[in-house]
Amino acid sequence: MPRAELLTPSGLGELTAALQRTTSSSRLLAGGTDLVRSMRHDHWEPDLLIDLSGLRELVYVRLEGDRLRVGALTTFAELQTDPLVRRHARCLAEAAARVGSAQIRNVATVGGNIANASPCADGVTALVALGADVRTIDGGGRSTVRPLEQVLVGSGRTSLAPDEAITEVSFAALGSDRRTTFVKIGSRATVTVARLSMALIVKYDGVSGTVSEVRVALGAVGETAFRDARLEELLEGRAAHEESAHLFADGCTDAVRRAIPGRSSLPYKQRAAVGLAYDAWNALGLCDRCQPAWG
Amino acid sequence: MRLSLIVNGMEHELDVRPTARLIDVLRLDLGLTGVKEGCSEGECGACTVIVDDKAVNSCLVLAGQMRGKKVLTVEGLADDDGLDTLQRMFIEHGAVQCGFCTPGMLMSAKALLLADPHPSEEAIRLALAGNLCRCTGYATIVAAVRAASEQPAEAAPPPPATGRDGKAV
Repeated sequence: MPRAELLTPSGLGELTAALQRTTSSSRLLAGGTDLVRSMRHDHWEPDLLIDLSGLRELVYVRLEGDRLRVGALTTFAELQTDPLVRRHARCLAEAAARVGSAQIRNVATVGGNIANASPCADGVTALVALGADVRTIDGGGRSTVRPLEQVLVGSGRTSLAPDEAITEVSFAALGSDRRTTFVKIGSRATVTVARLSMALIVKYDGVSGTVSEVRVALGAVGETAFRDARLEELLEGRAAHEESAHLFADGCTDAVRRAIPGRSSLPYKQRAAVGLAYDAWNALGLCDRCQPAWG
Repeated sequence: MRLSLIVNGMEHELDVRPTARLIDVLRLDLGLTGVKEGCSEGECGACTVIVDDKAVNSCLVLAGQMRGKKVLTVEGLADDDGLDTLQRMFIEHGAVQCGFCTPGMLMSAKALLLADPHPSEEAIRLALAGNLCRCTGYATIVAAVRAASEQPAEAAPPPPATGRDGKAV
């Protein structure tokens, strides 16, 4: 097996020079928690590894106008506690807190979460709900932006070119009229891979007591995290009371069925979706605690 | 590739494979076998070390990513004055049975106390959530960490590390 070479750029200039040398067998290394494990378990080595950890300029969270900008190498531990993320994208802070263990959150990055393209990536589910855009740079030094949904092609697959590195994720900062949360279910309470995850954002009008501009992303159902328009429309303009919670839970079940028809995990995930729907709804704190009929 | 690493206060110049993991270099090149390898995928936490004051799975990062960083393993916890408070509390509370998870547990707990000298029980449990123990049932470990956090000395910063030449690094 040919031996991999490790390049360690310390700035964007050096990064673009390194990207010029990539082939389809090359890989970019951010935190490493997925890639290093994969090389070990699947017994393979890329021809070229570009370690991004020297690019400290890609570690930041900034509010610019109404957009929140997150550098690609920002870790989940940083996102979890960042005051701007907690205020303007709480679902992302909550998702970050549920990623792996403390050890993993200390090194795993938001850019790596996207590029690894796991269907159960917690950060990605929150970013899909937030309608995030992804900025990249390529070997020619060109910087471009496209919607996250266009980057995620399938399970473990992205539209990123071999010489393309994610530099930033950005999205509209949520105002104080938004309520948002991230919930997930796995095989145990913490340090668990999501078997189903959900990020929910609603605009809440405290005067009329109704929700609107609903955004729901589901993760670990099918190839990539996704939003479901029919599910979102269900809640549009609804009063924030128990009836809406039941409607939302039914809608989540239907969305799961539409996403993975006939899949062996469908019966489990449909039922899990009901529980998660109530968890998410209750976390918004809009009305008294609601419970499914069976629970 | 050439790699400069600071481990337990000592500076090392090493020649490593580009894809060598941090745990490989610590155990095989530096003989620091207190770092344990359990699952090799970030579930068990036996390989936990502290990098720049933060707990990290040494099986999930490459040694090459650690250039210029300060790595602390269980071998670096004790100093000339004896065992670290955490180590003494682990012994006192019976938090060590087979011992395989202990170095990782200690390093996760140490990282927690560096960031938060007086953590809540929930914070202790969350900090240790990435470390599996198949013997103790965790209660004694949590009790040991809490006891360490209640010792006045634990809040003090660790003594300055010194390099091979005796100079601080």
